[in-house]
Amino acid sequence: MIFFTIVVRGLLRRPVRTGLTLVGISIGIAAVVALVGISRGFEQSWASGMKARGTDVVVSNMGSALSPKPFSSTVRDRIAKLPNVASACSIFVDLTSVEDSSMMVVSAREWGGFSWQNLKLISGRMPNDAMEPVVVLGQTAAESLKKKVGDPIQLEAKELSVVGIVDGGALVENGSVILSLALFQQITGNEGKINVIDLRATPGMSEDDVKRLCVEINNVVPEARAMVAGEHLGNSQAYRFIRAMSWGTSLLAVIVGVLGVMNTMLMTVFERKQEICILLAIGWKRGRIIRMVLLESALLGFLGGVVGVLIGTVGVKVMEKLPAIHGLLEPDLSARLVVMSVAIAVVVGVISGLYPAWRSSRLSPGLALQG
Amino acid sequence: MNPSALTSESAKSKDCVFKASGLKKEFDDGSVQALRGVDFSIAQGEFVAVIGPSGCGKTTLLQMLGALDRPSAGTLLYRGNSIPDLPDPSAYRAHEIGIIFQAFHLLPTFTAVENVQMPMFETDRSAVQRSERASALLKSVGLDHRLNHFPAKLSGGERQRVAIARSLANGPSVLLADEPTGNLDSENAHLILDLIIRLHRENNMTLVLVTHDMTIAQRAQRTIQMMDGRIVSDQKATLTPAEI
Repeated sequence: MIFFTIVVRGLLRRPVRTGLTLVGISIGIAAVVALVGISRGFEQSWASGMKARGTDVVVSNMGSALSPKPFSSTVRDRIAKLPNVASACSIFVDLTSVEDSSMMVVSAREWGGFSWQNLKLISGRMPNDAMEPVVVLGQTAAESLKKKVGDPIQLEAKELSVVGIVDGGALVENGSVILSLALFQQITGNEGKINVIDLRATPGMSEDDVKRLCVEINNVVPEARAMVAGEHLGNSQAYRFIRAMSWGTSLLAVIVGVLGVMNTMLMTVFERKQEICILLAIGWKRGRIIRMVLLESALLGFLGGVVGVLIGTVGVKVMEKLPAIHGLLEPDLSARLVVMSVAIAVVVGVISGLYPAWRSSRLSPGLALQG
Repeated sequence: MNPSALTSESAKSKDCVFKASGLKKEFDDGSVQALRGVDFSIAQGEFVAVIGPSGCGKTTLLQMLGALDRPSAGTLLYRGNSIPDLPDPSAYRAHEIGIIFQAFHLLPTFTAVENVQMPMFETDRSAVQRSERASALLKSVGLDHRLNHFPAKLSGGERQRVAIARSLANGPSVLLADEPTGNLDSENAHLILDLIIRLHRENNMTLVLVTHDMTIAQRAQRTIQMMDGRIVSDQKATLTPAEI
């Protein structure tokens, strides 16, 4: 028998209580995995969308909304003149409800701009000109909206028709309704307005060169902010709020888990008061008793973490399939998040066990002779 | 002997295991006086029975001897070293003494052989060595057929045998027994007492046995009788060792 056997037996002594505590901590960790995974995935989805479009720099004003604030389309021309800017493409991107889908990316792109180039036709055709009243749908968007080539689609008050289904090479692209910028501006009354400019830097530029280009753009265009593609979302107050909410909600769930483990370990210590006194009476050092209680709570945390990661992963996979967000999220269930979640659970376990361990170490071995 | 527990004083007091002078123990801010100035000494290899009615202070005395509690006043020495001032009382309890409880106090979620291993976690023995020694000790108390039984599956006598084996785990030189037959029927009580006395003789261990049963006390070499926290008599046995 090794010391760890004693620790495990301590947990198996009351299997139902241990199981319920595990469920408590698992839910907390599942919340961490799901909420943090989704918020990080949201960021990554946009970054991979940028990558698919071949964008090096994004100029936008994220402000406090989830979709960027509009600004004048003349900004594009001011930026395009700068050295090291190979090409620029004006975009109006909006997160809005489209027919039955509660939230969908509508991506209106400058006709002829490079942001059209990554779209691979799966069926149908591309629009013939900037003002043709048509859209193309990313393949996931087509599935979500249950549309095929030739079907009508309602955008704002205007009925357009679907002329093509495309593969955009990234989740966000495939979940988008894509149309010409000029048509979108006309439909929504946003003539002369855009809210994103995708830029391609001169080929061969280093990462530092691209960052320097961002600084240069920011000097020229005070009404928007240039950022390396993928990093722009982190600049959004709305996204930061979502991220903070994810962590906040997770933290609350984790605190509930902490209280659950602490309650269990305290009950364990009270219940095993006599046993602990016996162990002290037969020569166990107080440090060993503390280690035993802390290891039990850490093990409880670890197991809760593992179960929580499984529940969180399954939960996220189920959520991904929900029609409301299908095609919009690419949750980040990376090994880093899994390891971090389990580590949080173990730390939670250890912290929860500190007070019970201290209480157990205060017991008098003399009580062993009194029972 | 664990070097951290005692000093070189032990060499001077080779024959005297315990020596108490004016030993007092008070509870509840002095309103309860469990020991009211107790003086005695116990030599190496002695079998001493401490007898007296309930509440006379005999279990309190055993707690002091086992470093399970601290006296309120007086001195209590183990081989010349003050027990209340031991730098590491747990090392003393782990290596110098073995305690046998009236209610056995086995851990219910561990088998007999695992219970006996418990005190050995405070030694350098490996898991294999712990298991082998525990099995050998259980064999020596006649329980080699019950190694992997949980306490709930053992009789009262068997449980006390496991507890005795556990008390011997780290080869102590002193056995402290608190009413070791108190929870047993007369037949098992007789067998357990025989076993304890045999171990005491074979290993030349000092045995301090607390009991209220005069028939058990009569088998000791010396009987200390207590009343109201004081020693009222301290007598050598009238029986010969063979009769004991």
